[in-house]
Amino acid sequence: MPENAPLIHVCDDWISIALPDRESILAAQAAFSASGQWTEIVPGMDSIAIQFDPRLLSPDEAARLARHQLNGATRVDRAAIPMVTIPVCYDRTFAPDLAFVAEKIGIEPDRFPDWHSSRTQQVAMLGFMPGFAYLDSPDPCPAIGRLANPRQLVHAGSIGIIGQQSCIYSFDSPGGWPIIGRTPLRLFDPGQEQPALLAAGQSVLFETISRQTFDRWPKGPAQ
Amino acid sequence: MSITLLKAGLQTTLQGAPFRGHRHLGMPSAGAADGLSLALANGLVGKSGGAIAFEITLTDTIFEIMEPCLIAVVGSAEFVRINGTDRPQHQTRAVLPGDSLHIGPSLAGCRTYLATSAEIHAEELLGGKSTYLAAHLGGFHGRAFKDGDIVELLQETSAGNIDRITPPALRPHYGDDHVLRVTPGPEANSPPKGLMLDFCHATYTVGARASRMGMLLEGPPLGTGEFSNMASAAVFPGTIQLPPSGQPYVLGPDAQTTGGYPRIAQVIRADRHLIGQLRPGSRVQFVQTTTERATEIYREKLSLLTSWLGQIDLW
Repeated sequence: MPENAPLIHVCDDWISIALPDRESILAAQAAFSASGQWTEIVPGMDSIAIQFDPRLLSPDEAARLARHQLNGATRVDRAAIPMVTIPVCYDRTFAPDLAFVAEKIGIEPDRFPDWHSSRTQQVAMLGFMPGFAYLDSPDPCPAIGRLANPRQLVHAGSIGIIGQQSCIYSFDSPGGWPIIGRTPLRLFDPGQEQPALLAAGQSVLFETISRQTFDRWPKGPAQ
Repeated sequence: MSITLLKAGLQTTLQGAPFRGHRHLGMPSAGAADGLSLALANGLVGKSGGAIAFEITLTDTIFEIMEPCLIAVVGSAEFVRINGTDRPQHQTRAVLPGDSLHIGPSLAGCRTYLATSAEIHAEELLGGKSTYLAAHLGGFHGRAFKDGDIVELLQETSAGNIDRITPPALRPHYGDDHVLRVTPGPEANSPPKGLMLDFCHATYTVGARASRMGMLLEGPPLGTGEFSNMASAAVFPGTIQLPPSGQPYVLGPDAQTTGGYPRIAQVIRADRHLIGQLRPGSRVQFVQTTTERATEIYREKLSLLTSWLGQIDLW
């Protein structure tokens, strides 16, 4: 095994693979998907997991296959992945924590939309709920942290921020991220061929929209 | 054609095979919590193991049958009564319009499956029809049934007169003492040392806030060391997480796709259906096995079931 071989751990019918960076996770995801041999391929923040059908593969065979496919993985050209623009309304009724977050960052609340929409964002992974996106930004941001008391109800489309990491809620759900705006876009639509609006590896640009624009946004099929 | 839920019970949902291949989108597996009992019920009415059926949780339920069809009940329910007469589980039964089907509460175990020969109408998405409650997707309007709900039954899918009885050797035992076999999870060997030994040495009691998402296991707290704050990573039904409290958490079919707690163990696929029968107060002991042995056990279990049910898998 080469010295820089990734750390592979087989747990029953799935394999966890620790990987050094986002690029290698994307490359691994592409290689595993192309093989068509895994029942699930789930990227994490610093790892990826693949599930196999134990009727067809033994753990040893699965691990060997995974290593082989990882060796053949090639860097994904991120420039070729289309950037997604997410319209965001920062109206205070959609942004209960905007003032608190702006204070943590050290800017006036009125300047927050400009600050937020000028940042580079990338989708790190989806999780928590169908279509719920975890975003990363390489741009500096002080740690904000989660709310001491999570909310029982965060509306679908709400955008949370805890520092360099942001998230977009895809369904009405409980949640603990400070909320600074809301998008009218539907993050998950099971009727579409691509049910999730976002995918790991995509770059995201937030674009400020007015309350009027938000209210007039064409609604997708009812959730 | 329809069936009416006169008494819907604590949490009755439509469940069948899980959603597959969408966890990277954040879409959980959902599906029957006890895939083995589901498959046995479906087998009795001539359907494939993962067909949609009623999953009943803990309390009793009453159904009114509106159309002649075959039914079968398999699970932890104390009794099955048709028009007031006790009928055995594990047996195909013909019912007629106006028949009342009373399925008793679970005195031990947690879930019971009612299968019908007629196809049960359920919302389809992502290649599946099971209910995922948290996002209100699939099944019957994405939710658990309420009293008075009427479920549409579609065309008979199975052939004519089936009269079957599950072979006694294949009937699960529904109790409140469980042994679940596990393999070490990705973080099992992180500090502190001896975590798996401590975990498999203890007897746990399932906590009160049990759901299809998961269950807290109460027992002697495990040391969590320095590893309590890891980057989010994939989890699966049957993954045992270790939150900072040191009380392990076993994930169920509706578990989120990723989590930020150390994944100390994984319940083996052959035993995962037993998670669906855990209820608050159930006692659980974990026994460590190897991944090679886990695969053998799974294949042996399937081959045993295949002789009765035909091609089948569990999840």
